[in-house]
Amino acid sequence: MNRSGWLVRMTVFGVVLALAAVAAGCGGGDEGGGGEGIRVGLVTDIGGLDDKSFNMLANQGLERARDELGVEIRVLQSQSDADYVPNLSTLAEEGYDLVISVGFLMGEVTEQVAKEYPDTNFAIIDYAYESPPSNLQGLVFKEQETGYLAGYLAGLMTTSDLERTNPEAVVSTVGGQKIPPVDRFIAGFQAGAKAANPDVETLNAYSQDFVDQAKCKEVALDQISKGSDVVFQVAGGCGLGALDAANERGVWGIGVDADQSHLGEHILTSAMKRVDQAVFATIEAVVNGEFTGGGVTVFGLAEDGVGLGEISPVVPQEMLDQVDDVRQQIVDGEIEIPETVS
Amino acid sequence: MSRPGAEGGDGRPRTVEVLTAWFETRAGGLLVPLAAAILAFLAGGLVVLFTGNNPLGVYKAIFDGTGLTYLFPWVQGSERATAARNLQQTLLVATPLMLTAIAVAFAFRCGMFNIGGQGQYWIGLIAALVVGTHVDLPPALHVPACILAAIVAGAIWGGVAGVLKATVGAHEVISTIMLNWIAIFGGKYLFELGGPLQGEEEFIPRSNDVTASAKLPAIWGTLQPLHAGIFVALAALVVYHLLLNRTTLGYEVRAVGFNPEAARYGGISVSRNYFLAMAIAGTFAGLAGALDLLGWKFRVATNDFDVGMLGFIGIAVALLGRNKAVGILFAALFFAALQVGTSTRQLDPTVFPPALAVNLATIIQALIILFVGAEILIVSLWGARRYVRRGRRVRAQPAGGSGGAA
Repeated sequence: MNRSGWLVRMTVFGVVLALAAVAAGCGGGDEGGGGEGIRVGLVTDIGGLDDKSFNMLANQGLERARDELGVEIRVLQSQSDADYVPNLSTLAEEGYDLVISVGFLMGEVTEQVAKEYPDTNFAIIDYAYESPPSNLQGLVFKEQETGYLAGYLAGLMTTSDLERTNPEAVVSTVGGQKIPPVDRFIAGFQAGAKAANPDVETLNAYSQDFVDQAKCKEVALDQISKGSDVVFQVAGGCGLGALDAANERGVWGIGVDADQSHLGEHILTSAMKRVDQAVFATIEAVVNGEFTGGGVTVFGLAEDGVGLGEISPVVPQEMLDQVDDVRQQIVDGEIEIPETVS
Repeated sequence: MSRPGAEGGDGRPRTVEVLTAWFETRAGGLLVPLAAAILAFLAGGLVVLFTGNNPLGVYKAIFDGTGLTYLFPWVQGSERATAARNLQQTLLVATPLMLTAIAVAFAFRCGMFNIGGQGQYWIGLIAALVVGTHVDLPPALHVPACILAAIVAGAIWGGVAGVLKATVGAHEVISTIMLNWIAIFGGKYLFELGGPLQGEEEFIPRSNDVTASAKLPAIWGTLQPLHAGIFVALAALVVYHLLLNRTTLGYEVRAVGFNPEAARYGGISVSRNYFLAMAIAGTFAGLAGALDLLGWKFRVATNDFDVGMLGFIGIAVALLGRNKAVGILFAALFFAALQVGTSTRQLDPTVFPPALAVNLATIIQALIILFVGAEILIVSLWGARRYVRRGRRVRAQPAGGSGGAA
């Protein structure tokens, strides 16, 4: 009797669950009735929102647009590469005015989805198309320009007698992987350092990782032991380990992408890549009805799309003036900066 | 196995006995995983409740997101179109999961734990990619050639672990994990900038697309459609079942799995079967890589290697499916539905901030894997329940004498 009672309870429980599932299935139809204003969606790559790099920055630009322009926003994170197409097409299907995808690995799929939904505007961070459809715009950055400025400052510092420097004129870069945006930073940095002083030696190595801090720390420690007194990290979250190594060994570190001066007094400056600015500017264009697709928008120093973050107060005024001069020369197009690491 | 309850006399308890016995033997394989899944959903619901949200609403969104509503005839219009797209993705994800689960299950039946499904998957994918990009063949031959390459490569990758176990006794758990890393970093090396297999785009670290003749035909949908590979996966389940249960090889593999010493005494070469079981397991995982590549990926980038999880989810699928072909079929569909249903696009952003949505999805997935893995807990709960009943009955009939010793 007891046993049958238990069975009955289990059965009832199962039926209730099944009913709940069925009810869930046929509910539906509760989508908001097409709210007013502009709706903007963002699809992250597999790095996720807390990558402390371009996904996070893109989201900051999106949130700023929500606060300042009053647009409605939605973020979809991709957990695997199988999510890219469904995420993009879900936003397009739901009638978003602008869909932004983050990262050059989503290049083809974004183009594919954009062709399928010609009435939706698309933009993509870090990807330059040759001939995209008219509703798709690539957003790329001149990382080499901010890299050059950071390198110039590093070149001045390593040959100076200021604190945290050693007699050897060596500076170094820790890259995550050898991919184009990373190499543009590094190429600019090396050119800038040489421009500040042709005797400066530049070291460069890749950690093959964007996440594991220990790997970048190891690379940086090796470089510091070879005389580097300014370490420029171009490796996202992994690079925080490189900055940590600089702190430990009493040399300078330079942050990347976001302003990383909050990490401590050892941060000389940061080579910022204003993904947030690019996202915001693109949304603003859509709001003002000025968005055009079918090409590539380049964000450089002139457009405030890249630039140096806060500079350490240790740096004397004459150095700041020199860096400012160089900045102006770059904006005026007087300096040719390489984009690839030789 | 005579139980005190079966001697009840009036017939009714006897029926219950029969039913219970049926549950424990025939349906036992079904009941425990089902109970595990239900418990997991309840626990996941508690987590949702703690975040201050309504679990039913979240589970409804997840269920809608799996696309299973497509099977309901009353779902119409744009909802039906959305359901169709979701169901395509669920089936697309289920396809490789069936195969990586077989790779675990086959080794399991031989008494080995193959954690190397992920590495075997990548090696198969890379082999298929090489044939798919570097060889020119007519369409009728190109797909089979790619698949053959993947199968051979997967067999080699699994076979290495088998050989190591058979010859020097290196534990397959250790060696397959190490082989995973070799496959992951080897893959990264091949496709990074300047790597030997990097594609034509000079500044993008990934391969070229496989040629059109090497792509599997799409069978349902337009964007990232379901491809014909699902039929190959279903066929592989049949092959797995027959191979294990209807061939001498399968008999030997199972014999070694039950008891290697007894199998050896019976004249079966244990080391040969270790090798064969791992190599065959590798073919299935390698096939999974080929189907993913030829069906919808078409190319691979270095950072794909960072997030590949199919080989590991395959372990959970095999566990939930109890290493049986039919079980694996449904468990793979279940895990694929879970993965697609819990993706952030299915969760209401007003209820879950984007950053939280991913974590919630991961928690629910992890709880389910945990409960499924801990099915022994459910079995022992079942046993404890019977023990309590029996104890009560014994106490009610003091004449019974030798109490709990039954």
